[in-house]
Amino acid sequence: MHSALYKRLLRMLHLSRWRLRSLFTYICFTMLKGKRPNEALLSINIFQRDLGDQNPLVRAWALRTMAGIRLHVISPLVLVAVRKCARDPSVYVRKCAANALPKLHDLRLEENAAAIIEIIEILLNDNSPGVVGAAAAAFAFVCPNDLPVIGRNYKRLCEILPDVEEWGQIILIGILLRYVIARHGLAKESIMASLLPNIFSNEKTGSESDTGYLEIKKTYEIVLQEPELVAMVSRSYLAGPDKHLLHPNNSDVISSDYISSRFTSSKTDDNVKILLQCTLPLLWSRNSAVVLAAAGVHWIMAPMEEISKIVKPLLFLLRSSDASKYVVLCNIQVFAKVMPSLFAANIEDFFISSSDAYQVKALKLEILSSIATDASISIIFQEFQDYVRDPDRRFAADTVAAIGVCAKRNPQVANTCVEGLLALISPKSINSTSGSMDDEAVVLIQAITSIKDIIKQDPLSHENAIIYLIRNLDAIKVPVARAMIVWIVGEYNSIGNIIPKMVSIILRFLARGFPSESIETKYQILNAAVKVLLNSKEEDFDTAKSILNYVFELAKFDFNYDVRDRARVLRKLLSCYFSSSGLEEKPNNNEIRLLLVEHIFGEKVKPSTEMVNNRFYLPGSLSQIVFHAAPGYEPLPEPCSLTESDMVKGLEEEPTQAEANDSDVDSGSLNEEGSYYSEDSVTASTRTDSETTASESDNNNTDSLINLSDVGKPQEETNDLGELMSKGDLESWLDDNDNPGPSQNVAERVPSARISIGDISTRTKPKIYTLLDPTYGNGLKVIYKYSLEESAVSPPLVSVDTFFENCSSYSMSKILLTNEDSESSDQGSSLESQKDVPVFAPMEEISILEPGQTIKRVIHVHFHHHLLPLKLILWCNDKKHPVKLRPDIGFFLKPLMMDLDAFSQKESQLPGMFEYTRRCSFTDHLAELGSDGKDGDVSPTKDSFLIICQCLASKMLSNANLHLVSVNMPVDVNLNDASGLCLQFSGEILSNSIPCLVSVTLDGKCFEPLNASVKINCEETVFGLNLLNRIVNFLAEPQLTT
Amino acid sequence: MLQCIFLLSDSGEVMLEKQLTGHRVDRSICAWFWEQSISQPDSFKVLPVIASPTHYLFQIVREGITFLACTQVEMPPLMGIEFLCRVADVLSDYLGGLNEDVIKDNFVIVYELLDEMIDNGFPLTTEPNILRDMIAPPNIVSKMLSVVTGNTSNVSDTLPGATSSCVPWRTTQLKHANNDVYVNLVEEMDTIINRHAPCDGVLVKCEIFGVVEVNSHLSGIPDLTLSFANPSILNDVQFHPCVRFRPWESEQILSFVPPDGLFKLMSYRVKKLKNTPIYVKPQMSSESGTCRLSVMVGIRNDPGKAVDSLAVQFQLPHGVSSANLTANHGTVDILADKTCSWSIGRIPKDKTPQMSGTLVLEEGMEQLNVKPTFQVDFKIMGVALSGLKINKLDLKNLPTPAHKGFRAQTEAGQYEVRS
Repeated sequence: MHSALYKRLLRMLHLSRWRLRSLFTYICFTMLKGKRPNEALLSINIFQRDLGDQNPLVRAWALRTMAGIRLHVISPLVLVAVRKCARDPSVYVRKCAANALPKLHDLRLEENAAAIIEIIEILLNDNSPGVVGAAAAAFAFVCPNDLPVIGRNYKRLCEILPDVEEWGQIILIGILLRYVIARHGLAKESIMASLLPNIFSNEKTGSESDTGYLEIKKTYEIVLQEPELVAMVSRSYLAGPDKHLLHPNNSDVISSDYISSRFTSSKTDDNVKILLQCTLPLLWSRNSAVVLAAAGVHWIMAPMEEISKIVKPLLFLLRSSDASKYVVLCNIQVFAKVMPSLFAANIEDFFISSSDAYQVKALKLEILSSIATDASISIIFQEFQDYVRDPDRRFAADTVAAIGVCAKRNPQVANTCVEGLLALISPKSINSTSGSMDDEAVVLIQAITSIKDIIKQDPLSHENAIIYLIRNLDAIKVPVARAMIVWIVGEYNSIGNIIPKMVSIILRFLARGFPSESIETKYQILNAAVKVLLNSKEEDFDTAKSILNYVFELAKFDFNYDVRDRARVLRKLLSCYFSSSGLEEKPNNNEIRLLLVEHIFGEKVKPSTEMVNNRFYLPGSLSQIVFHAAPGYEPLPEPCSLTESDMVKGLEEEPTQAEANDSDVDSGSLNEEGSYYSEDSVTASTRTDSETTASESDNNNTDSLINLSDVGKPQEETNDLGELMSKGDLESWLDDNDNPGPSQNVAERVPSARISIGDISTRTKPKIYTLLDPTYGNGLKVIYKYSLEESAVSPPLVSVDTFFENCSSYSMSKILLTNEDSESSDQGSSLESQKDVPVFAPMEEISILEPGQTIKRVIHVHFHHHLLPLKLILWCNDKKHPVKLRPDIGFFLKPLMMDLDAFSQKESQLPGMFEYTRRCSFTDHLAELGSDGKDGDVSPTKDSFLIICQCLASKMLSNANLHLVSVNMPVDVNLNDASGLCLQFSGEILSNSIPCLVSVTLDGKCFEPLNASVKINCEETVFGLNLLNRIVNFLAEPQLTT
Repeated sequence: MLQCIFLLSDSGEVMLEKQLTGHRVDRSICAWFWEQSISQPDSFKVLPVIASPTHYLFQIVREGITFLACTQVEMPPLMGIEFLCRVADVLSDYLGGLNEDVIKDNFVIVYELLDEMIDNGFPLTTEPNILRDMIAPPNIVSKMLSVVTGNTSNVSDTLPGATSSCVPWRTTQLKHANNDVYVNLVEEMDTIINRHAPCDGVLVKCEIFGVVEVNSHLSGIPDLTLSFANPSILNDVQFHPCVRFRPWESEQILSFVPPDGLFKLMSYRVKKLKNTPIYVKPQMSSESGTCRLSVMVGIRNDPGKAVDSLAVQFQLPHGVSSANLTANHGTVDILADKTCSWSIGRIPKDKTPQMSGTLVLEEGMEQLNVKPTFQVDFKIMGVALSGLKINKLDLKNLPTPAHKGFRAQTEAGQYEVRS
């Protein structure tokens, strides 16, 4: 926007009506994105005046607009205004004050944090439900983990909950649930009880609470069919489930007392009871989000026999609000999987209506097949018969798959299912639809897949089905379907009485048609022929052999190289059967081959267990719908992590805060004083404005004179440690060219000089995390840090330096880190299901660790960009300690060497959607500047700039594995103004080698906290955003004084 | 925490962009969205939650207008969706319907409404009654006034009293010359009827989804109680925020202070009904490339009132190249998207409406093995098929006695007959 226009707007602002002002600021700040902060400041005093207006609407709007300006400079003013409005007589203004707090918090100013939380607490205590709702939203945004604040008002918040407006209810329900769990623990009657150890172990530990547990266990076993799944779901709801399974004395047998202390009872605990009571009427809300949030609380906390209360409201949502249908179904799907009995009586609600979208239909099908019981299965099958004839063939295919799932679940109906499925592939139904072959093919293939799966369960009883399939082989033209049938022939060639007799005929038939088959069918014919040969008895052996030989001969001249190769390999393997070659083979060589063949073909397929999607998120969350943890997703807090002392500590602090607050409010509420204060500050800020504008005009002058941009000089050129090179570079540049003038042709470049800050690798200290604390690990201390080295095992792996130290007085042996599920992997969690799960490369075992000794091991982990902690098991002296490895997204990168040219080129290729910026404050340099900055007046620019750069660079490089491309600073520096200082880093994502560029631009005075603006350009946007959040977090984090 | 709201026209043009937080959302996300929804028309358009490369998107579509909201962080997805629905409701209420032109004509009002409804990504004022007090709906008079006086603002300068009262949905100090309140039961019947040939259809599912609509024009702050004669038949209920939970929990009585004007007091569901008012009997037989179709419609259980605006609609299955259908009553239309609709109107006394004819299948296809589903539409005034009966309506705290009125009607909801 032109500055002339802007000034006119400003003038208009004074004259205009208050409504227009808000529109004005909206335009300014969406268009300018905070580029002209100083001019925006001029508008402040108008809003300040409006804040004292008689009309509450004007006050509210003044506050809204002021908070919406989002400039660091005015944040103190806004804070004062919010504090004043939080005590306003008008409810509407107080509500707007609550809404303004997240805006203030968004600026990420440390000094405001405490004040913001304090105001939130005042507003949470408000009498008006409307204000409480808005305050809850502010709480959830600003300090969701500051649960003691909630604790002080818990009962009152519960009671006021039904009166809070609907949007506030959604948020408040979630906060209250988190508080109850953190303070009082989980309910042992609820589904979360699956975390209780006694539920699964049958041994009596002899503790007195056994009878209680047995009772729970009984209901538990009745209601839930798949306890493992339930345990998995409930575990995934929690933040640190395995941490509290750690016990200092005994790690093998988990002490039940210890665990049970994490549990409370939803029947006797008043705090849990009141939450359940107050959320119950919310199930009647017309707002689907409120209903789902309330249902979530009951799902997690209510006793299992009472969860059914959520069923009707949830099902009602499916009809009453069309838009939320999909989301509600996604949640019901999880509920139904965990607790099929819950919805078993309501199958009609999941019957498909022709107006449903495909996704909705698919979800309903899945729910139907998981809640089917013996009683309802016949009705469901009748429905399925209708669905199979649905005009949407994709959906029909899904139905066929669902029939297969139902049959596996309820084996007694398997025969009916197979019959129904076979009818689908009968020649009549195939021929009639030759018109739309592609669509039908999908259904056909799915039908055969389902049949195959059912047969797998119990091949013997489905002999007739196999025969039927074989008889129809001629009619089925779809290659994939044919291939599957041939596979079935080969696999079950010796089952029953009839098939073995038919097999040779079928094979002969197939062999004759071999050249005209499609490739996948050819593969299967080869395999089937080999399998038949291996299984054939004496009398058929020769036939089988000659057929196979015939097939091999045909395959030898096949067009497809893969078919030729396969045939050749098989032939070699089976050479003992075709001993025509006459070569004398070593006998053991033959044996090995036979063994190999037996292993490849002889082994019967075991019925594989169902693959489960093992990612579950809290009900009603966004993450549950998109199936990944969205940024900002937090699982439930650790049960009972909020102790009495936490609460008390909060209380002790409160009086002093309240006092300070009171005095503030007093001064604020006196109108004269308030306005006096604000005017004063405004004049102060305008003064600084004029200063900065002056400096800006300076800036403009210098622009044309010197344009310095030192590009492309590698960093190692100047090796002087700690030498600030900007001046030197400038001089050398001037010397080289004699004439600073002609550089005007590069005028569009921002004037900047490159600084070399030398080798800062000595300063980088990667953060050290503790994997196992000696107090929990019987004296074994394990710490780890992310290594900057590239993993030696495989490039996408992240290497982690792990140090094992023995702090005890005796030696330890057999220390090993393994995956958590290494022992459970035999339960069918095959490799496919772990595709995206973080993988941990096996570690070399430490056989012995003497007291006081420290051994380093490098472990390699493939995180697959998962940001949730990776659960591992640490074995020591044959005891296991569950531990968690915290991924650090900063180390999912590796440095990418590039020069400034390449950097800026790459940057320009990644605009718009691939560019994200966030601001934060940076204070690390203050400590160092404070120590030696006082006497640095001689050359303040030099030292302070260097120190800032070093601090920033070392902080960045300690926390993320990046390459420092360059450090640029504006040439026309003011003495203490670090604005414009820019550090550029480059890296490449380990897993997919996508480059990721990071630029940090500073803004502010050297001896004050600086505003850092972090920009990331990266094609992998989710990764980029997560990395951005990480960088902003660690930059804003105060430096640890070591 | 929503970051931005976009309104897209049915051609994908961004009509309106409203940034809500400091984290600006680039407009390019809409282009991405539109590209995706064109490339995957069947799956993308209907998904309410979409994970785009940069943002999570919530979408609802109302009368061709796509409402799109963006966020980057975890938030309850239903909150975003419900809010968009509320925005759509309010806009269509203000503008008397939704379409591209009407939004562009009333751009300022739409902006003002959005400004009031959401602050920093969190809903602020969504109650339609309060919004009406703050921002006047557009009408001829206000347009005239603005032209004549030059005062273009339609925004009220005072805060509505309701924002501070304990009944935020009701404007304080209301005065009506005539006090009246009407209660209307509007029911929709959802049915699935299975396989007609050869025997009579099987009732798979039959239920009523009903709404108690109240239109109140009462002065002061009245306190109403509404009770039903047979509340036990209600399977589940949802309430307007004005309904007090306690009386319903204990005695199943609706006690409330109503908002002014028309609102949905409660919605309910009655399940497992046994009877449908009408029957629809489709019959199909196909041989050698053609398929004979006949559909008969008639009264099964006389509801006591006339069945109106009866219509039957179905999608011609994939593989039908042309259709030749005639009816002995009403008109048959085959639309471009292969939807066949037969509008009957009122059932005549003397004959049974019947539609019959042939469907010609595509070349090479012998017979049809997919079966269309017939959607039936009807309306019966004056009767609530669920059998729900209002017992009485008590009005308290009223300066003058008021007139009370009750009505009922039943429509077809998802009334489906599978052939």
